[in-house]
This record gives sequence, C-alpha cells and structure tokens, in this order.
Amino acid sequence: MNNHFRTGPSVSMLNSLLIDERAEITMGDVKLDFKPSVPVTDANISLGRRHDMPVSIESITDTRNEMKRAGINVAVAHSPHAITYDSGEGNRMLMETIRDSSDFVPQFVCNPSFDKLDEIASHVESEGVRSIRMLPSLHNYPFRSWILGPWLDWLAETKITVWLPVEHQLLGNTYPIDPRDIYDTLSAREDITAVLSEVKYNDASWALPLLKNLPNLDMEISRFVVTGGITSAIEAIGPDRVIFGSRFPYSAMSPQLYHLHHCGLSDEALQAICFGNANRMLGID
Amino acid sequence: MNTPVIDFHSHLGNWGRHGVNGDPQRFIKIMDSAGIDKACINCIFLGDARLANDRVTELVNKWPDRFIPVAFVTPHYPNEAISELDRAFDQLGMKYLKIYPDYFQKPIDDPAYFPIYDWLNERSLPVMGHATYSFDKPGQTPYERFALLSERFPRVKWVLAHAGGWGPEKAIEAARDLPNVYLETCGSPTGQGAIESSVKTAGADHVLFGTDMALLDARHQIGKIVTANIPNNDKRKILGLNAIKLLGLEI
Repeated sequence: MNNHFRTGPSVSMLNSLLIDERAEITMGDVKLDFKPSVPVTDANISLGRRHDMPVSIESITDTRNEMKRAGINVAVAHSPHAITYDSGEGNRMLMETIRDSSDFVPQFVCNPSFDKLDEIASHVESEGVRSIRMLPSLHNYPFRSWILGPWLDWLAETKITVWLPVEHQLLGNTYPIDPRDIYDTLSAREDITAVLSEVKYNDASWALPLLKNLPNLDMEISRFVVTGGITSAIEAIGPDRVIFGSRFPYSAMSPQLYHLHHCGLSDEALQAICFGNANRMLGID
Repeated sequence: MNTPVIDFHSHLGNWGRHGVNGDPQRFIKIMDSAGIDKACINCIFLGDARLANDRVTELVNKWPDRFIPVAFVTPHYPNEAISELDRAFDQLGMKYLKIYPDYFQKPIDDPAYFPIYDWLNERSLPVMGHATYSFDKPGQTPYERFALLSERFPRVKWVLAHAGGWGPEKAIEAARDLPNVYLETCGSPTGQGAIESSVKTAGADHVLFGTDMALLDARHQIGKIVTANIPNNDKRKILGLNAIKLLGLEI
C-alpha cells in the first residue's frame, strides 16, 4: 500500500508522469503568506561571489535573512569559487565564512583531475564534512572507476555522500553529466551513496529510470519543476530518496517548498523530503 | 479575501521531446491543486493555425469555467493569418494572440508579423511571445525591440513571455518605460529576486502570472508569486487582477 499521500492511490501512469489524484484542492482560496509547516534543510545552496557573473545574494548575512524569510533552518552550502577555479581554496573560503554557524553545513567541491586525495581527505575529516560535490564534465574527467578508483574507495570507507549536479553552466557553455558513466560506476559500487542534483524538467526521461535502477542514488529536486514531477519522483523511488534543495541564489528558496506543500504528501513524506533525508544523510541534528 | 487566479500562459497538446503530457483532466487536477481558477490556453504545437485554434475551442467548450481561449497564427502562412485572426477573435471569442518566434525562426519584430500586428493594433489587442532568441544578434536587447514595436503599433499590448527570458533586465526596463509592455512570469529558472525586481522596476500592474503548463508544474510557478517578497496586494494583481483588466474578463 502506498502511504506517501493523504489518501489511497488511484493513479494511472502515462509517460512516467502521474495524474496527481491526491493533491489538496485550494482553488479559490490561495493563501498569500506561505510558511513551511515542517522544519526545512535546504540541501543545495551556493555561498559566495562568482567570478563570471554577479549573484543576487552572496553574503552569509543576506543568505541567512532569506533563509529566515523562507522558513529554512539549515542550509548545505558549497563555494562557487571551488567549482569554477580552485576547489581547495574555495573550500577553505567556505569554512572561513561559515565556521561556527549552526545554520550552515559545508559541502566541499572535489576535482579528482587536479586535487590530491590525501589533502582533500584530511581537510574533509578535520572539518567534519559529510558530503562532497563532483562536476566531472566541467572538470574534464569521466566519472569512471579507472580514474576515480581511490576516490571511490575513500567515499565508501568514510560513508561520505557524493553530489552530482546534472550540469553546470559557465560562460555560455553547458557541461552536462553523462548518465551512462553514473550508471556504470555506481551500479558497481553499491557501497557508495550519491545524490543526483539539480535535475531539470527536460532530464526526466533519463533521470527517473536512472534513479529507479540505482538504489544508491538519491535525487535533489531544486530544478525539478516539470508538471507532476515531484509526484512521479516519489512514486519512482519513494520519499526517503527525494531531497529538498533550492539552488539558491540562482533560484529563490521558497517556490519549490511551496510546490512540495501542495502535492498532497503525507506528513511523513513531507518531513522526510524537507529535512529528514538530508539530516540523516549528512548527520545534521 | 478571495484572490482570483488566472494563469496567463499555458499550452494544449503533448510534446514528447520535453515530456509534456497535455491530458486535460490531468491539467485540471493540477490547476485545482495549485488554486488556479482559469487558464489562458493556446495550441502552438501545430503548423496549421486553424486546426490549432479549433482544438483550443473544443477544450474551452468542454470546460468553459476553467479555460480562456488564446489564438495562434503563423507568419509562415501569411495568406491564412488575417482570415484566421478574424475567425479566432470574432467567431471563436479568443482573448489574445500567442506567437512562437523561436520555432518560426523569426524574431517578434520580423516584418513578416507586421500585417498581423496591424490587425491587432486596429483592435487594441494583446500579443504574447518570447522576447529573446538563440538567433539574436549580439547586443540585441528586448528594450530596443519593443521600443520600436510600441512606436509602430502603439495600441497593441505586448506581453513578454517568461519576463524576457535571457536578459530580463532590459525586458523589465521596457515594461517600466513603455506603457503597453507587460511581463509574464513563468519559467524554469526561478531566479532569486526575479519577481521582486519586476515589481520594483516595472510595477506590479505590468506583471502577469503564468505557468507554462503542461510543461512546468503550476504549483511551483504560483509558488514564485505567493512567496515573493512583495506586498499581498501586488500578489493579487499579478495572480489575477491584471489579467482580468487586460483581457476585459468578467469574473
């Protein structure tokens, strides 16, 4: 029995996107002052200045103000400088910014084509980091075991989660992930947990089947705004593998939270997606 | 206070390449869950405008309380366009024109559209289309584009789908400076501060809520407005009052 929704399921499946039978009807009475009804961990924000473009909000103070307005308790942050230029330096800059902040959790960027594993591992351990972010296409390496071998062993041993954004955009170019590499590598390493991050509306055709076939790959939904997408993701992989993130400041924090609150989810499913899954995965109290 | 919610931008039909499932009953279910009273709906996925407008009419006849018909014509068949506009607005009761410059491979200010705009200008009607394109010349901005169009066709109301898309700043300035330019809000990016910026610069009276259903989920798109850091009265205007005024709806 599917108990992820408020009433029993009565769905028909068409092209993997379900008719949402269970959503609460709010027609005629849209509430204009929305606040989430559960605690929220935003599992995907970028914190800091970018070199290639101005960002609307870059300081920890302004970010914290937005979190407060959106009703977000904790944010998992990574450094844009670490992505674009120097992962080690960017990770250090991130720690300088958020050190001793209980409302921010660090996520380090790792570039196996450039970084030394022992240095990254040491930094991760000393700062208590529980997740890393990898961008194979942007950083010019295939996500394959013959390049990543020792990194994969390290991830498995430390139970650190690796986040894999489906693409990165830089200077007018798009650097997409290769789902075939993701499948081949993660299917052979069930001892590694990964998160497919920033899945977009037009990735659904390959992303949902990939997630269904890789029990060790979860999904972060900041960009998954295709019609019926959240429901289809939950039906495909269950609410315990779906994670709320916003992609702030490239996206506003609240719209996807609002969306989640209007999908007819059970309290348990909403809590899992909004904070439970991220907190469990990342050891957040 | 009951806030009427009018989705200014939605589509009828399937689009397999992007996973768009246009099943009307599913569409309505999602409208219900998002709190949308009515959706302005067009069919732009066909090269035959007459057939496209007939499909919209069929849908609206079946659910007249939920859908508002929007016309479509294509400049690729200029001999058909004007007679189809006559039919769409005079016989089928359509409320505004949607064009699809990206797929026509003709930007919105291409002279091929001018006979269409002449017709709209006579009647002071709105037209909605994308404002920027992958084939734009470097440096071209929506501001220049719509400044020229507004001058040439001063009675047409220009609705910039996706609030200008790439390069929203210039689109927002156009809405600020040109009295008949409006910004429609749907899109898959939900840039931090985008709604706030549109309201601050162009004014809430020039912003229209849209979803891009059945491509993008209406619940996410309405969330952008509801959660924006703007006064509730501005939210009400954007969610429905502006569309009611612009289209002369009786609600």
